[in-house]
Amino acid sequence: MGSKAKAGIVKHLVAGLKRGLGLHTPGKSLVILPDDIFLVSFPKSGNTWTRFLLANLRFPDKPATWATIDWMIPDPTGTTKRDFDRMPRPRIIKSHECFDPRYPRVIYIVRDPRDVVVSQYHYHRKIRKIEDDSPLEKFVTRFLLGDTCPHGSWGQNVATWLYTCEGSSRFLRLRYEDLIADTPRELAKVVSFLQLPAKPEQIVQAVERSSADRMRKLEKEQQHGLYKGSRADMSFVRAAGSGGWRKDLPTDQVARLEAAWGPLMHHLGYELATLPPSEIGEYAPLGTAITAPR
Amino acid sequence: MIRQIQYAVKRAFGLDLAGRHYTVYPDDTFLVSYPKSGNTWVRFLLANLIYPNQTVGFSNINRLLPAPGVLSKRFLKKLPRPRILKSHEPFDVRFRRVIYLVRDPRDIAVSEYHFDLKKRYISPSMTQEQFIKPFLAGETSSYGSWWEHVASWVGPCYSQPRFLLVRYEDLLSDPVGETAKIAEFLSIKADEERLKSAVARSSADRMRKLEQQQSKQWTGTKNTRQEIPFVREAKAGGWKESLPRHCVEEIEVAWFPLMNFLGYELQNAELDNKAMPVWVRAGQSR
Repeated sequence: MGSKAKAGIVKHLVAGLKRGLGLHTPGKSLVILPDDIFLVSFPKSGNTWTRFLLANLRFPDKPATWATIDWMIPDPTGTTKRDFDRMPRPRIIKSHECFDPRYPRVIYIVRDPRDVVVSQYHYHRKIRKIEDDSPLEKFVTRFLLGDTCPHGSWGQNVATWLYTCEGSSRFLRLRYEDLIADTPRELAKVVSFLQLPAKPEQIVQAVERSSADRMRKLEKEQQHGLYKGSRADMSFVRAAGSGGWRKDLPTDQVARLEAAWGPLMHHLGYELATLPPSEIGEYAPLGTAITAPR
Repeated sequence: MIRQIQYAVKRAFGLDLAGRHYTVYPDDTFLVSYPKSGNTWVRFLLANLIYPNQTVGFSNINRLLPAPGVLSKRFLKKLPRPRILKSHEPFDVRFRRVIYLVRDPRDIAVSEYHFDLKKRYISPSMTQEQFIKPFLAGETSSYGSWWEHVASWVGPCYSQPRFLLVRYEDLLSDPVGETAKIAEFLSIKADEERLKSAVARSSADRMRKLEQQQSKQWTGTKNTRQEIPFVREAKAGGWKESLPRHCVEEIEVAWFPLMNFLGYELQNAELDNKAMPVWVRAGQSR
């Protein structure tokens, strides 16, 4: 047996022992419980902010920080199995996956893809996935193909959830833009969807504890381990706003996104800048009252 | 702990079953469908087309047209590429080339009911009528409901160049023509004679005979009730005799937009008149 093969076997044995002790991250093998709630979105769609909001709502006695968030709203690719097993139920679990029929209840956050692409571009510069001066249009090409992350393209990720689940009582769709515009109102929807015993003042407290300013301050203090080795001069919490694409995304790139996903964007209420209404194809909201509640 | 160590050793040698966790290559093609939609028939058709000199049966179909879930990771790794793999998974972003097989959900409701009896997944006293509610809710399958499954694939992939939508019903009415389309998608050069031979060697009669001889040698039928056949009617529209009218109504009310889109004529004419949806191009061609 060659040394490479031996090293491979050792690696697998170590992985197996870690598994035995529950110190591995479960990833897709996570055992899903019937009362689990999943917070799902395409990356860079406000998932981390919503995680803070929900963590602060769910655990009002303990303000969420970058150091505790993986325990409060666990991430199957970042939290150990042991922590998953010891967590109070119902668990609220973070995910970027495309449609998964095993998720019992889903809060899906959607964000304007024109803002998502700009956000992901800067994020990939921060974590050194792309060169600092890598052209934006090259990134848009990869973004349209779904090659910038392992969770499909924006259109695929959104479509797999909307076509399968929209209209179902176990699915709540929120727009990042609405969350920004009126956070307490949108959070109240979550409270009612999850039937949490939260009072209005607790919602206000959760919003305050999850403000972009507080998250930025905490990020500076904690230099959280999630993004170890990334550029400290660029912060994870960036603009935390909507509509930045009007300034940051050239019109020809806007046109490419709208040509690809126009009907879906229109359906979600994102006004198109480069396509007249007559040229937007029809999106069929097929999910209306389709999926029987579990 | 012992179990974990056993697993670690198996995993170290690549002998653990792949389940849902195996390496997918960009040149893989997947034959995907909701269960009971004709997947095994198409596996036979393709295996007979690709291996004209072998006798394809239940005893070797898992190797000839592999189902990753029941094979070891090592076996899957050693397969010559490009691989053609069978799957029942709902949308999986790793699958770059997909043949998606779809079937009328009213027929699936009947087929799956008999299959679940055979597999002892449901109580032998459960009636066809009682089966409809959990079937609609997606509780009879670990792959979600028929709606969820079809919508998760057809929604983002319809009209994409690397996605081929095949209706089981079309395959029944024109097996040679539809198999030719699949062969073209797979870049398999097959003349009419070879296509006809593959169809003949995958006929329901032949598959029934093979099942009788080999049902204990195949993961799909091993340890199941042998008095209930796996290859059952192998036809379209059986629901008209087997499903009570109100069950048909329930399925149609729940899923008519997608049934309309796929061209399945509805018993409830009011639902039939609704406009056919236009699918969004949610993906880009790769």
